[in-house]
Amino acid sequence: MKSKIKEIEEQALGEISSSAAERDSLEAMRVKYLGRKGIITELFKKMGDLSASERPEAGRLINILKETVTRSLEEKISSITAYEVEEKDKIDITLPGIRGRIGKPHPISETIDEICNIFVSLGFKVVEGPEIETEYYNFETLNIPLEHPSRDAFDTFYLKNDSNQKFLLRSHTSPVQARFMEKNTPPFSIVVPGKVFRPDATDASHSFMFHQVEGLAVGDNIRFSDLKGVLANFTKQMFGKNTKTRFKPSFFPFTEPSAEVDISCIICRGQGPVASGQKCSVCGGKGWLEILGAGMVNPKVFEKVGYNPEKVTGFAFGMGVERIAMLKHGINNIRLFFENDVRFLRQF
Amino acid sequence: MRVTYSWLKSYVDLNIQPEKLGALLTMAGLAVESIEKQGSDYLFEIEVTANRPDWLSLIGVAREISAITGKKLKIPSTAESRKPKAESQIKIKVEDKKLCPRYTARIIRNVKIGESPAWIKTRLQTIGLRPVNNVVDITNFCLFETGEPMHAFDLDRMEGKEIIIRRAKRGEKIFLIDGAERILDDSTLIIADSTKPIAIAGIMGGANTEVTISTKNILLEAAFFDPVSIRRTSRKFGIMTESSYRFERKVDLKNIENFSNRALDLILKLAGGEIGELFDVGDKGFSKKTVTLSYSKCNEVLGVEIAPSSIKKILNSLGLKALAPAKDKVKFEIPSFRIDLDSEIDLIEEVSRIHGYDKIPNTIPGIVEESSRISSDMVAAKKIRRALTSLGADEIITYSLLSKKLLGLANFLDKNIIEIENPLSGEQEIMRPSLIVGMLNSVLWNMNRKAKDFKLFELGNIYLKERNGKFVEKKYLCVALTGQAFSGWVDRPRPISFFDLKGMAEALFQELGMDSVSFEYAKDGRFSPTECASMAIKKEAFGMLGQVDKRILNNFDIKDKVYALEMNIGPILKYITLEKTFKELPKYPSIYRDISIIIGKEISNSDATSLIKISAGPMLKDVKLVDRYTGEQIPDGKVGLTYRLEYQSLLKTLEDRDVLDCQARILRSLEEKLSAKLR
Repeated sequence: MKSKIKEIEEQALGEISSSAAERDSLEAMRVKYLGRKGIITELFKKMGDLSASERPEAGRLINILKETVTRSLEEKISSITAYEVEEKDKIDITLPGIRGRIGKPHPISETIDEICNIFVSLGFKVVEGPEIETEYYNFETLNIPLEHPSRDAFDTFYLKNDSNQKFLLRSHTSPVQARFMEKNTPPFSIVVPGKVFRPDATDASHSFMFHQVEGLAVGDNIRFSDLKGVLANFTKQMFGKNTKTRFKPSFFPFTEPSAEVDISCIICRGQGPVASGQKCSVCGGKGWLEILGAGMVNPKVFEKVGYNPEKVTGFAFGMGVERIAMLKHGINNIRLFFENDVRFLRQF
Repeated sequence: MRVTYSWLKSYVDLNIQPEKLGALLTMAGLAVESIEKQGSDYLFEIEVTANRPDWLSLIGVAREISAITGKKLKIPSTAESRKPKAESQIKIKVEDKKLCPRYTARIIRNVKIGESPAWIKTRLQTIGLRPVNNVVDITNFCLFETGEPMHAFDLDRMEGKEIIIRRAKRGEKIFLIDGAERILDDSTLIIADSTKPIAIAGIMGGANTEVTISTKNILLEAAFFDPVSIRRTSRKFGIMTESSYRFERKVDLKNIENFSNRALDLILKLAGGEIGELFDVGDKGFSKKTVTLSYSKCNEVLGVEIAPSSIKKILNSLGLKALAPAKDKVKFEIPSFRIDLDSEIDLIEEVSRIHGYDKIPNTIPGIVEESSRISSDMVAAKKIRRALTSLGADEIITYSLLSKKLLGLANFLDKNIIEIENPLSGEQEIMRPSLIVGMLNSVLWNMNRKAKDFKLFELGNIYLKERNGKFVEKKYLCVALTGQAFSGWVDRPRPISFFDLKGMAEALFQELGMDSVSFEYAKDGRFSPTECASMAIKKEAFGMLGQVDKRILNNFDIKDKVYALEMNIGPILKYITLEKTFKELPKYPSIYRDISIIIGKEISNSDATSLIKISAGPMLKDVKLVDRYTGEQIPDGKVGLTYRLEYQSLLKTLEDRDVLDCQARILRSLEEKLSAKLR
């Protein structure tokens, strides 16, 4: 009898728990076990077959069984009631969420941050310098003679001034090189973000105001190979680890040897002309994008700031922030950066 | 610089494809911009850097190819002796030796002017020059071949028997071969005959002595003119010619006679005639330049190991001669056409270029220790940017240069304004004295594109001329708000107010750890007189905020209200606390009690708050205004205020009865001192 009761209990609880949470099936379950001809009711009826000594114990166990099954059924039923709500009480969860808007940093600020952070991770310090400059810092300390074709690349805005000294808007961030070197002793490595100005006619890729990041590392044994290593590392961090870097000889008055630095085109992945014969619109089918000017600091620049060029060497580089931001985000017109249309700003 | 594939082949063996050649040149520093098929030839457009005038000649480019590929360079010989057969009967006088260090001329009589042969014409046409006649074409051909501009004058159209190289007299005139007349002054070097200018030296010849089909006798000029003088004159008259471009970058002084002879040979061959003696005045370029290179230094600077023999070979291939055999420090003689090579680093560059930048390894230098990697004001700028964006504002960057007109719209006085000497357009006349002008311009831009509710900010420099004439630039912040404040469909939208902007400012200052910024009523022409405040910290004013004055908005054609803040970052830097120290959390919780009063409208919130703080005693931790009400049940001229007071004890959990006295004391003070009534 005892084992029979145990068996029924397991069976009943199992059936109840696996039964669908619907009133009909649970009612059927109640009838099956507790109804007038239910399995448990039948057990009570069979008690008469037992001996008097067995009867009290059996009665107790069957009662426990009845209670257990009843409770289990009730629990199941109450869980159904909890799920059953009226349609009209439901909220419309498709209504939009109530939220504040997080504003956006300007894509140029973001790009400057991204560039500087990479160089900081390589041991560089971020410094700034003035936008209003003198000819001395913008040209002379950088070995750019006043009347020389090498100045053609640096058309410059001058400020109206009564006194004899000429002031101008820096046409590159390089003047900060001399300013920093005058006040510090090597070794050091710095990056300098900032605005620069050139009287260029505005078009889709030219603006009379734009941003540069300048770099300078000086020490007793800084080599051209270090310049290559640092910039290759930078381009990989900035444009992805598969980015290839190419150094081409070039000329800047303040560096020697000088290089123009290309990265493999981030759109066509350096494939250049594709099979279909159509040229990549970003690199023009060349497979390379020019993004940096760089080189070893010209000893004449060291002499200007009072360093001994026999004792120190260094490298310098510079890049246009707008160009890099345009490449990274696929922006096709530099003017968008300065129109400040919120539909533009909020995309990044 | 334009060169053609087949023309280059005259000076160096080329057994590589044009595309391959282009890549080789680019990787050696002659940036090939384009390669274009022209008939059976290829035209190369090469960008030549300002330091390499020798590359402005086909021989120069061929020399580079020879150095890269190891193929022999073939320069047309000009060594044969030339016996003068014709009488010269002319005198050369160089009056200004500084502007004309060397002048050569040679007379050729009885030339036959005609068409050039096809091989010359085709080459000139391929690089974009129009053939004229054999003599003119030869001077052009030689300019491209040698890099030395030469000029042929019609001898019979020159007056007197002399050539004078002198500065022009003020008011002298010349018709140039471009058909236009130029009026000269004494800054201009000219070539003159006895009576008149016949050329602007090094830039363009005069129409009066041009070689034409009827020319019989010519004078062939080859010279060296002062680069700076040529540059100034060329800019002054706005004439840039193949000739001025080369003189400006320095021509090969020493080889001028050879270049002249090369042209002479071609003229004799193609136009016939008899030559006169060579006039050669000035510096013959005999002085020799040497530069010493340490092989070990070269490898050190580059971070490579190139064998001394390879270094020497590279430099030889470029025309440099090692003078004395030495182990490490070797003296090299610099050829006359390499005006750019003056010092050791110049030679190191040559070695690296020809060796190939791609063969130099990539290394990472030892990291230099620095105490801080970023300056404090840049950290502050980052914090400000992060705080304002998290408050929902978008960052803008506007031009630092503005038009006077735009500045006028914002009613700025112009006495401290910095003006631009050489603006390209009216958009760049002055430097901004405030960020508000550019800000309003951006607000307008967005409103015109149907944006209504937005917050913008800009971090950037303003520029001013101080009273002593000194130019200064200061880092400023500008914020602007316009439209409706609304958080979605639950609350009803309401127009943005002064307090939205003030709240942003307060949140910003809190984030920057500036806890004692005070706001005071202020007057400023840019803001509405009823809604304007100045901001100060420790009595130092650093900015303004308020509703932008309606007249200014009208000037800009902005229809909606705009609230703006402008502040100077410099003065607040010392108050910004970015290093935060942990404060122990309170052991016992605070309790909160409200006080609701009715009070005169003229009493400011700050008066009421400070009175509450003074009268509360040490348990009061904070007091906040949670309701401000006017209307029903509040008499005219009064306002209902509810303050929420936070009490805290270090000793125990406070209960109601602990703060009863305190609450009563506060109320009494408010009643007595500010005539408040309990509501």
